[in-house]
Amino acid sequence: MKTTVNITINGESYEETIPNRLLLVDFIRDVAVQTGTHIGCTYEGVCGACTIQLDGAAVKSCLMLAVQADGHEITTVEGLADKGELTPLQVAFNEHHALQCGYCTPGILMNMDEFLKKNPDPTEDEIRHGLIGNLCRCTGYSHIVEAVKDAAKKSA
Amino acid sequence: MYPAAIEEYVRPQTIAEALAAVGRFDEGDALFLAGGQSAMQAVKTRLLRPRCIVDLQAVAELRGVSVASSGVRIGATTTYAALAEESGLDGAYHAVRDAAARVGDRQVRNRGTIGGSLCWNYIAACMPPVSLALGMEMKLIGKGGERSLAAEDFLGGPLETEREDDEILVSLNLPVAPAATGSAYKKWGLVTDALPVIGVCAMLTLDGSGACASARVAVGGLGDGPRRSGAAESGLTGVSPGDSDAIAAALQAASDEIETQSDMWADSDYRKQLIRSLGAEVVASAFARAAN
Repeated sequence: MKTTVNITINGESYEETIPNRLLLVDFIRDVAVQTGTHIGCTYEGVCGACTIQLDGAAVKSCLMLAVQADGHEITTVEGLADKGELTPLQVAFNEHHALQCGYCTPGILMNMDEFLKKNPDPTEDEIRHGLIGNLCRCTGYSHIVEAVKDAAKKSA
Repeated sequence: MYPAAIEEYVRPQTIAEALAAVGRFDEGDALFLAGGQSAMQAVKTRLLRPRCIVDLQAVAELRGVSVASSGVRIGATTTYAALAEESGLDGAYHAVRDAAARVGDRQVRNRGTIGGSLCWNYIAACMPPVSLALGMEMKLIGKGGERSLAAEDFLGGPLETEREDDEILVSLNLPVAPAATGSAYKKWGLVTDALPVIGVCAMLTLDGSGACASARVAVGGLGDGPRRSGAAESGLTGVSPGDSDAIAAALQAASDEIETQSDMWADSDYRKQLIRSLGAEVVASAFARAAN
């Protein structure tokens, strides 16, 4: 019923014995106590608030068991800023008012951070297409799209 | 919901180890897990309650696309994200890229796999009709040895396939495409990139004059499971790309031939309209790709 895993989150390794059925998002939030990663849709895989990067790729952490992440490197929203210095994407979110309640923001940042690495000069259509897996019920997405565009421009 | 208790988690390195792991359990008690973008949903809702999860992530021989003189081999655990960018699938097999680029969302495409999707055979999945139109051969390995099934024989109704619980889908294999062949896939859902209400895939091979020498057309999103349309295939044969009346007639015959269901997403007539309109788009794309 339990497995011992070693999962690296934001550079710190967590060796824990956990139930096999524990979802990765709950390992991140409850075991590693990194609560920036959110649960929006009660683990249904549809809201994207739990998006993290697994070995650099944006994935939904409610769609994985924690045991599947054994031996892998995870980055959460807490791992974006380097020594407190926000990334250009985070700064752009601030400047463009790309969040209101902020609940969806960590997931969107983790998705768009990888998106911009793969596609550093995206069109608006590509940005909107890239955001499909993240629900935001406040902003209507306009400011989020503007922020991602601006982050791309400033990182160029 | 949350997964029920899972007694054991194993991560084999080879197909042989994976088969041995499943062999220790009664039939149906162990679940092969690839990307898990569908299967984990079923585990969480407890539609599936495996005692053991056999995670295939470390089995390297299941992953990747190789293009050789003998044809194209798509490893079953190749992700959608990798397929969407796979230049080895241009032209004849471009429909795989079309479908992979629009499955779910970025996060799902980073983790979801073509083989996982085909084994799940969800009613609103994109890969089943693509596999039918392209004529994929599914290679399976189980304790009884290897076997290879055509997509038609592998896929059943929604959530049904010929795969036994203790068999692994290893690869999807395609022959070397004939010259002047192109394919395309398109779906329509209620919002962008949503699960398809209808998805249509076409693969056309052209003759020397640029007319269609042979066609394969398949439709997904159907209550009875994905299927080919013989009426569309025979109707398109001999047709030139500019003959929009003949193309429309072939797709009309397809929509007449295919039984469509009414549900909360779309009624039966609307699905038939989608077969015709998406069909016209994919046939045009397939002609253009075949001519390149």
